[in-house]
Amino acid sequence: MRVLGLYVERDTPVHKLAPFTKLMYAVTSTVVTFLFPSITVGILFLVLSVFLNTIARVLKHLIALLMVVSVLSISIFLIQGMFYVGNYTPLFSLLRLTFYKEGLLRAVVLVLRLFNMISAFGILMLTTRPSDLIDDLVRRGLSPNVGYVIASVLQIVPQMLSTATRIIDAQRSRGLEMNGSFHKRFKAFLALIGPLVLGSLLEARERALALEIRGFEARTKRTFLKDFSESKR
Amino acid sequence: MGSTEKIKIESLTYAYPFSDKNALENISFSIMPGECVGIIGRNGAGKSTLCLALTGLVPKFFKGRYSGKVLLDGEDVRQISYEKLVTKIGLVLQNPFSQITGARITVYEEVAFGLENLGIPRDEIKQRVEAVLKALDLWEKRDENPFELSGGQLQKLAIASVLVLQPEVLVLDEPTSQLDSGGTKEVFEIISQMKSQGITIVLVEHKYEMLVEYVDKIIFLQEGKMIAFDEAEKIFSLPEIDEYMVGEPIYTKLCKKLNSKNSRGYYPVKFSEAVGILREARCGSDR
Amino acid sequence: MDLIVKVENLWFSYKSGKFVLKNINVSFDGVSTAIVGQNGAAKTTFVKILKGLLKPTMGDVWINGVNTKETTVAQLAKVVGLVFQDPSEQIFKSKVIDEVMFGPLNIFRDKQYSYQMAIEALKLVGLDGKVNEHPYDLTLSERKLLCIASVLAMDPKVVIFDEPTIAQDRYHIKKIGELVLELEKNGKTVIAITHDMDFVFDYFKRTLVLHRGNLLVDGKTDEILQREDVLKAAGLDTPYIFKISSSVGTVISKLFPI
Repeated sequence: MRVLGLYVERDTPVHKLAPFTKLMYAVTSTVVTFLFPSITVGILFLVLSVFLNTIARVLKHLIALLMVVSVLSISIFLIQGMFYVGNYTPLFSLLRLTFYKEGLLRAVVLVLRLFNMISAFGILMLTTRPSDLIDDLVRRGLSPNVGYVIASVLQIVPQMLSTATRIIDAQRSRGLEMNGSFHKRFKAFLALIGPLVLGSLLEARERALALEIRGFEARTKRTFLKDFSESKR
Repeated sequence: MGSTEKIKIESLTYAYPFSDKNALENISFSIMPGECVGIIGRNGAGKSTLCLALTGLVPKFFKGRYSGKVLLDGEDVRQISYEKLVTKIGLVLQNPFSQITGARITVYEEVAFGLENLGIPRDEIKQRVEAVLKALDLWEKRDENPFELSGGQLQKLAIASVLVLQPEVLVLDEPTSQLDSGGTKEVFEIISQMKSQGITIVLVEHKYEMLVEYVDKIIFLQEGKMIAFDEAEKIFSLPEIDEYMVGEPIYTKLCKKLNSKNSRGYYPVKFSEAVGILREARCGSDR
Repeated sequence: MDLIVKVENLWFSYKSGKFVLKNINVSFDGVSTAIVGQNGAAKTTFVKILKGLLKPTMGDVWINGVNTKETTVAQLAKVVGLVFQDPSEQIFKSKVIDEVMFGPLNIFRDKQYSYQMAIEALKLVGLDGKVNEHPYDLTLSERKLLCIASVLAMDPKVVIFDEPTIAQDRYHIKKIGELVLELEKNGKTVIAITHDMDFVFDYFKRTLVLHRGNLLVDGKTDEILQREDVLKAAGLDTPYIFKISSSVGTVISKLFPI
């Protein structure tokens, strides 16, 4: 994985929307479902988000993301269904455990809220390149330094993983055992962390030099190479 | 006092913080506009430090003990405004891996980065990026992620990213270290092109056989001191070259072994001249 | 004849399926050998297999009679040493001597013996005067020598170098080359991946040319490096020595040490 993030390469109208717009949608739809905890509102937004995800042809990926929280969702149903404070009307029983209507309804609201948040942010994450999102935020006022730090972390962390592999290779070649007692594994950890951290720090220093050379500190108004449909002024 | 020198260094002495040894000691020389100057010396001689001093990054970035002056077009490099400095002098560092910003996911965007910072209009950015990528034979790779490139391609990317800023002076610190002979030739061809466009070039290089064909003069450093600043053949004929075991072009070494000098009294450093001298030497012996 | 490294019908592919090494058959036995080839010829993959870091997809690699598929990398480290390209991806101790002792301590266990081996290795590379220094106070080239010492200290029978001359100054290229000759004299089998053809010519008696995963030629350096057709096919350049020879019209190699 070269870049941290969930971006899926496609060419759809949703992909072409400005990242900031998508971010606003995600935040808005999440906030609304928190402010108005009704099932109708929840379903409405969820349908909208799913629809957008479908246009973006990333529905499969969204479902994968939702699967991740499936266990959480089920436990919400179990816990709320059985132990919600406002439980009053029993609905059914299973293995001597009673599930109540009020709790289950509340669980529906909570799970809808969760699914909504994931679907709405899913649109953002699945159809937007992280570097584009950061670019857009910088364009709207986010400090370029902060933007740079976030954007570079997304690529440099996976890089560190491949460097780590090479370090492990080099140390194993010198007889380092990776498995065995805790003591052995701790030694292995040190032999890996040392060069990784040191190397990263030195590299970071060189990178800062390179940024300096390429005008990063310039106080002129920056140009943005990328163009997003609504940002065209 | 109006100087026509592009670069002028006066008694530059510098030591890194926490170091009791001077990385550079009493360095003085001038480079005229459009000249191409090489820097040679053993690792640790101060070549990279000198490159950093030319751009002002020493002392700006590194602090340390600094005395003397580095002048670009007569102006002290520490006084030139940052924005002006970036388009005046560019530096390609030694390690290509740590020059990728990391904030861009394609080679194209990576090269455009510097121009975005400077507020260059979008159309001009596109023009310049395309030109420089094509010149360095990276156009085919423009949509690839920089981290997927090989060491040699990264080196070319690093050069492209600085070249696109169109500096008047370009400093390159071992730009071919990761490259094989094919890649090395490509880089030197770019250098030659830049030279013909009037760009002043300073380059640190160990591949002497290529270096001597392109430079007007060479600075020879050893332990922070400048041993000599002269034409290539004069430099490589100095006894200090052997004393400090700096090495020389292979055919120069041959000529030294056969004690065959050229008409000016120096050991030849260029290939064609060396071939001529060696042929003569061969005719004059029983080989 | 006791062949230290034997490669039989080696085919290798990463998970993606395409073979990056095809039908390699070669043995190594004490003659210093250079492996050359363009990028993408899979040279690094090949030495990783020799080192046991990768296992053959098909075929076998025997190191000192042991099949690499039946042993661990740590075990093989006693016989095969590999000097990686980037010193910063290995160095983690704060003293030169500790860094060089790391490998020996792993395989010999004995502290006294490891110390001895480390000192000897440092002497061999010329760093015995910097025993207590911090590795990052050394120059780039000295750090490379440090990595070489840290491998030599384990006293392996086979020493492999991955691009030893990259970013080195001429003085250190010569030093590393002389080290190769010294190791060969001491009975070690030295293998080096490199694209510096003059380095190959000066210090290696045998050359293997890899191209796109195939072994193109295997033979005496002298002969192979003169064959322009082979070198061209593999995307390589002739060493300067031969460029001059052909221009001047004499075999100049007689003037050089090897």
